[in-house]
Amino acid sequence: MSKKQYWKGLEEIQPSAAYQESVANEFKEDLPSFDLGSLAEANTSRRDFLKYLGFSTVAATIAASCEMPVRNAIPYAIKPENVTPGVPLNYASTYVDAGESVPVVVKTREGRPIKIEGNADSTLTHGATTARIQGSVLNLYDATRLKYPTISGKESTWEAVDKMVADALNTMGAAPLYIITSTQNSVSGAAAVAQFAAKHPNARHIMYDAVSYSGLLDANQASFGTRAIPAYRFDNAKVIVSLGADFLGTWISPEIYAKQYSRGRKLSAKNASLSKHYQIEGMMSLTGGSADERYTCKPSAYGAVASAILSALNGGSAQLPGNLNEAVKKIAASLQANKGAALVVCGSNDKNVQIVVNAINNAIGALGTTMTFAATNNTKKGNDNDMNAFAEALKSGSVGGVMFYDCNPAYDSVHAKLIREKVGSLALSVSFNDRNDETTQLCKVAAPSHHWLESWGDAEPHTGYYSLMQPTINPLFKTRSWHESLLKWSGDDTTHYDFVKNYWMGKLGGQAAFDTAIQKGIIEPEVMPMSGASFGANVADAVAKASAMTAGKMEVVVYEKVGIGRGGAWSDNPWLQEMPDPISKCTWDNYILMSPNTAKANGAEHTDLNEVERAKKVFTLKVNGNEVKLPVLVLPGMHDEVIAVAVGYGRDKGAGKAAADTGKNVYTLVANNADGHAMYSSVAEISATTETYELAITQTHHSFEAKRPIIHEFTLEEFAKNPMALYNERKEELEHFTHGPEDQGMGHIAGKHADANESAGGEDWQEAFRENGTLYPNHEALGLKWGMSIDLNSCIGCGACTIACQAENNVSVVGKKQVLLAHDMHWLRIDRYFAGDPSKPDSIQTIFQPMLCQHCDNAPCENVCPVNATNHSSEGINQMAYNRCIGTRYCANNCPYKVRRFNWRDWNEADCFDDNVYTDGRRDDMNNDITRMVLNPDVTVRSRGVMEKCSFCVQRLQGAKASAKKEGRVLADGEARTACQQSCPTEAIVFGNVNDTQSQIFKLRYEEQKERVFHVLEEIHTLPNINYLSRIRNTEVLQSANPEHAEAEKHA
Amino acid sequence: MHLKYESIIREPLVNGSKTYHQVTEDICTPIENKPTRLWYIGFLLSVSLLAFGAFSVGWEVYWGTGVWNLNKTIGWGWDITNFVWWVGIGHAGTLISAILLLFRQGWRTGVNRAAEAMTIFAVMCAGQFPIWHMGRVWDAFFVLPYGNTRGPLWPNFISPLLWDVFAISTYFTVSLLFWYSGLIPDFATLRDRAKTKFRKMAYGVASFGWAGSAKHWQRHEMLSLVLAGLSTPLVLSVHTIVSFDFATSIVPGWHTTIFPPYFVAGAVFSGFAMVQTLLVITRKVLNLQDYITIGHIEAMNKVIVLTGSIVGVAYLTELFIAYYSGVLWEQEAFRLRVMGPYWWAYWAMMTCNVVSPQLFWFKKLRRNIWFTFFMSIIVNIGMWFERFVIIMALHRDYLPSSWSYYTPSWTEVGFYLGSFGLFFTCFFLFAKYFPVIAIAEIKFILKTSGDNYKNEMQSIETADTNHFIEEQSHHH
Repeated sequence: MSKKQYWKGLEEIQPSAAYQESVANEFKEDLPSFDLGSLAEANTSRRDFLKYLGFSTVAATIAASCEMPVRNAIPYAIKPENVTPGVPLNYASTYVDAGESVPVVVKTREGRPIKIEGNADSTLTHGATTARIQGSVLNLYDATRLKYPTISGKESTWEAVDKMVADALNTMGAAPLYIITSTQNSVSGAAAVAQFAAKHPNARHIMYDAVSYSGLLDANQASFGTRAIPAYRFDNAKVIVSLGADFLGTWISPEIYAKQYSRGRKLSAKNASLSKHYQIEGMMSLTGGSADERYTCKPSAYGAVASAILSALNGGSAQLPGNLNEAVKKIAASLQANKGAALVVCGSNDKNVQIVVNAINNAIGALGTTMTFAATNNTKKGNDNDMNAFAEALKSGSVGGVMFYDCNPAYDSVHAKLIREKVGSLALSVSFNDRNDETTQLCKVAAPSHHWLESWGDAEPHTGYYSLMQPTINPLFKTRSWHESLLKWSGDDTTHYDFVKNYWMGKLGGQAAFDTAIQKGIIEPEVMPMSGASFGANVADAVAKASAMTAGKMEVVVYEKVGIGRGGAWSDNPWLQEMPDPISKCTWDNYILMSPNTAKANGAEHTDLNEVERAKKVFTLKVNGNEVKLPVLVLPGMHDEVIAVAVGYGRDKGAGKAAADTGKNVYTLVANNADGHAMYSSVAEISATTETYELAITQTHHSFEAKRPIIHEFTLEEFAKNPMALYNERKEELEHFTHGPEDQGMGHIAGKHADANESAGGEDWQEAFRENGTLYPNHEALGLKWGMSIDLNSCIGCGACTIACQAENNVSVVGKKQVLLAHDMHWLRIDRYFAGDPSKPDSIQTIFQPMLCQHCDNAPCENVCPVNATNHSSEGINQMAYNRCIGTRYCANNCPYKVRRFNWRDWNEADCFDDNVYTDGRRDDMNNDITRMVLNPDVTVRSRGVMEKCSFCVQRLQGAKASAKKEGRVLADGEARTACQQSCPTEAIVFGNVNDTQSQIFKLRYEEQKERVFHVLEEIHTLPNINYLSRIRNTEVLQSANPEHAEAEKHA
Repeated sequence: MHLKYESIIREPLVNGSKTYHQVTEDICTPIENKPTRLWYIGFLLSVSLLAFGAFSVGWEVYWGTGVWNLNKTIGWGWDITNFVWWVGIGHAGTLISAILLLFRQGWRTGVNRAAEAMTIFAVMCAGQFPIWHMGRVWDAFFVLPYGNTRGPLWPNFISPLLWDVFAISTYFTVSLLFWYSGLIPDFATLRDRAKTKFRKMAYGVASFGWAGSAKHWQRHEMLSLVLAGLSTPLVLSVHTIVSFDFATSIVPGWHTTIFPPYFVAGAVFSGFAMVQTLLVITRKVLNLQDYITIGHIEAMNKVIVLTGSIVGVAYLTELFIAYYSGVLWEQEAFRLRVMGPYWWAYWAMMTCNVVSPQLFWFKKLRRNIWFTFFMSIIVNIGMWFERFVIIMALHRDYLPSSWSYYTPSWTEVGFYLGSFGLFFTCFFLFAKYFPVIAIAEIKFILKTSGDNYKNEMQSIETADTNHFIEEQSHHH
């Protein structure tokens, strides 16, 4: 091989150092990407590049952005006097539903009533409301209301109607004309009816109540010579005994009774005394839920129990089944010991039972102290026997004509069948009802009357107590007050307004007095007159008859739901339909309530897997030969031989979309007793079917699981003995976390440090827990800091707050199917838990816990939101920026209170998709143009896909702050009130600025009630701005909320 | 001669006496031939699943999240379960390419390409769920920290969901780059072999003008190194951050410090199982048994039994800590997890993830194709249940009043099926048009780990040590 080497260049034979280096380096150049210099000098500069990028992005964005529809808000062409857009106007008026009339204040915005509040000036109600009063504003906007008068179902004019009715009246002759109404207690209205009757002497006005109180009224007639309901004074009673009367929920005037009742339920460590409430009932009622001692019996035994109490008061004794002997003994002793400060009420419509109860009240000195006939309650005045006479007349064909107002006998009367058969063939039949309901459909003429919010008028809820009504909106439809119609048909062309005005001017003596009265809304005596009455009934006879009521192996109770009541317009109120029943927590349906034992025996047993299985077994219920099929809802606390079904369902399509096609009408199960009074309990037979039916229940787990420290409850005795028990328990629990890292270095042990705090004033541990229970810095709360306190002892679970919140905050109705999916939207729910043994109905103790956003200062929801859509205000409010929310739902997952509500569907046509609004047939009316007028313009209607929750009614707080600022003063305590607080009939909710040491909330939390204060789940350091006050039950034993056996059952 | 040597105690990684050309032929031929009938059927099936998924999602976006059966108590269900499941599956690829690279595991070369592809497709599937689970998906861009005139208003940097956004998008980007950079030389091989103009152009564009020069290889290696360095921490961080979605919350059963390692182990576990599922089929269908050998499968089964045991320990630790903590809420959450209404999901998880993988301690089972395939499915079912069980801690949390229950609606199932559609559509396209095995990398180890080369070493293995030393030093 040749050794000859060729050289490639001169540098190779004479290599320089640089050359040698370059040869050694295999890759001579650097990687170009690191040559930044050349990059900077490129033709297309970085700035140009950014310009192109920016331009194309903007262009693409503009091209792709969706077109927003233009919506025009039309200003007033001529601005009405006093109306400033955005500023609400409040009017005093009167809520009327049949005989129930309550002084209220109506809030209007731009001419639309949007919210009802109680009239706090009234000495009867003190501003108390119920769920129905809160929900009544929605009835105004009910699209099912008749929009014009009709003749034979066809649209007509008032002239044609007037002519037709006049002709019919002229040709009627002497044949009686019945004017059938619910209880009416309008005084001017009575004058109008009288004027009509004067012109047409054949007219007879009869009143009946869908749920009758004739037994009570007639018993009072027999006992005291007055056919009236006395004014009860639960506030004067230290001992309250209720025999099946749901006086906090549905019995006569629950708003008044709840307010009075709550007076005896407030206590503090300094003044540890409570009224004692005994409840004996067949079904589990709202009132039973609040009772200190609750016993169950069959409704047929009410008479025997009442008789036994009466005889025990006189030293006698009786033999009763179950725990009742013990109950009677205790009750009699309590009554005896509190003579003059005790009250017994009874929900039975049996005259004899009520006479016995009257005898008891007479014996314990209730008359003139806890009840009085000096100011009778006019809520119920109906007379079943008048109705029976009408039925007889109808049967015999002697009726000339009939007019109906605010009543629906074709649906709810004992004589419904007869009425349906006969009314159509009468010469004249007129319905003044607001809708084409079961009764209106029978009538030739529908002459719809105004809703009370559109109407002038008045009411006399208690004798001597007047409440005036003024319209808050022009009539939405071509309706006419029924009083005006009557006047017209008696030949008087006065308008209803003039009639009412003239009436009251005459009574009050002048325009000025009338104006003042209208503005104030009420005319009331300063103090309720209290006087006794002499009792004069044949007690022995009543006792004999009352004790001998027919008992059945199974008895049914027909009851009113708190939300739906008698039916009527309420059946078509989506808010109230979707309000979970306070006790059963079921929405949108009626059902058979049954005890766990009975259900088990009939193969419908209740298991812990309710969340999993929502289809309930359907049972056939046979009463007096009538049969209905309904699903069974198992409810602890029901007597084993009692079942209960609610009225107000099984409505005709004419009653409205929300009312129709659901449940069964159980008024058919009601029959008259020997006295001609409708009886709401009777012997029943049940049998299981193979069918199932889904019930939309919002709370499926009943027990609060004893171990879980969610609720703190004590007996009165425990609390009186050691009021600090809860305080010390909390302190012990939280003290472990009151030391920051720097403390530990100083070698303090927990106990030592706490002692030091104790000597420093004793309250420091709460502040230390706030600061040191977390790694993060504490945010000082300066200025305003909102806080709320909820007294579990006052809360009766009535649900007024739930509906008030719904009305105030535009909370969506979702419909039954979505409730089944647990998509309900209530910002404020009331958790209802049971303690005790489900197989022993007498042992059941119920507790209500209103649950809403706790506005945690260390809110778990806030730090998990990726886009800061939920954050904390400097005033301690956990707030939602709906526009920012993208709907990851992480906040809801991380909320330990589960109070965040997601807009799963387009409930309100509020998103940017057309035609995707959720419809299910029953809730659809919520979105029509009329019903949307109920929306509060101060609160955003949330689009689908965003999270929402309680805002502490921030619009109200801002409003109050703004008006204080405008007037250049400090916000006063009580000026800003949340909707729930305002609606609460028992004043369980206190709200205010906790930084203001003069505020009610401050005093309550840190002084008066500090022993009872606790926060739910405070040990996880969420630092809620809502506190609860412990429940103190005036009883001997607290039942345990033991869930274990239910669990065991499931796994067996 | 430069001696390339690997002990013959180690199994050969390439069987069948391959030469460099043979390797190229074996891997490129399926790409160059017309797709088989089976491929068409599979592909169409995947595309129709994808279409159904798209329909389901469209339905949900139009009507609202309420068409899913989630509720006020249970805000997440199948959506986030599937998200975590897919992200977990997406861990194997990067682990194989990055961590095994660091550990000098030569066997990774046979499977890394397919595993990385799977990773990318799995992360694509995973990403769908958090996007479409939003109530207002059109505002999803709010999570991005972009400059704006609203203050400016930034996202909430302490939200784990925001960390997710960054973690997942980073992981996806790095994995994609890593995978693609590895593909470039192989695309060039395909380009050079292409017969049609279109192919030539397409693979030409895809290979970025790769010329195979030493310079290119140098840069390629450098890039791979950088990306391997970047992805190594990502393997650990991504699932750690996903676990923060739960661990930083206060939901009993979520609020657990054990989650990061537990999630990473679970992710590797499910990722390897998914790789097994796919490779057992792919090697058969594309006739690549010589490159994906039983040895490869066994190696992955070993990883499965290891990670399966780790998650098993984690499950038991959770129970112990719940008991030992004395915290009522924790105890109740775990009691309900084991014995509550979702007991069946818990026990399905335990059986699939903890009990059954223990069978891989038997070598015979580890090397059994059918058993491996069956187990890979079981493990993935188990890991799905793990996520479901964790998320369903929501169904019974603090307040019994809100307790609820959840079963998916058809749209949720449709979405899940659609994610399979997306995954397999991508995988079918990949298997047909991309080299499923890294040609260049196989060639790199061929001379040390190919069976024919290994056999040549037989003589060296048996040779006298002194003689060997002398021989080697003589050469230099």
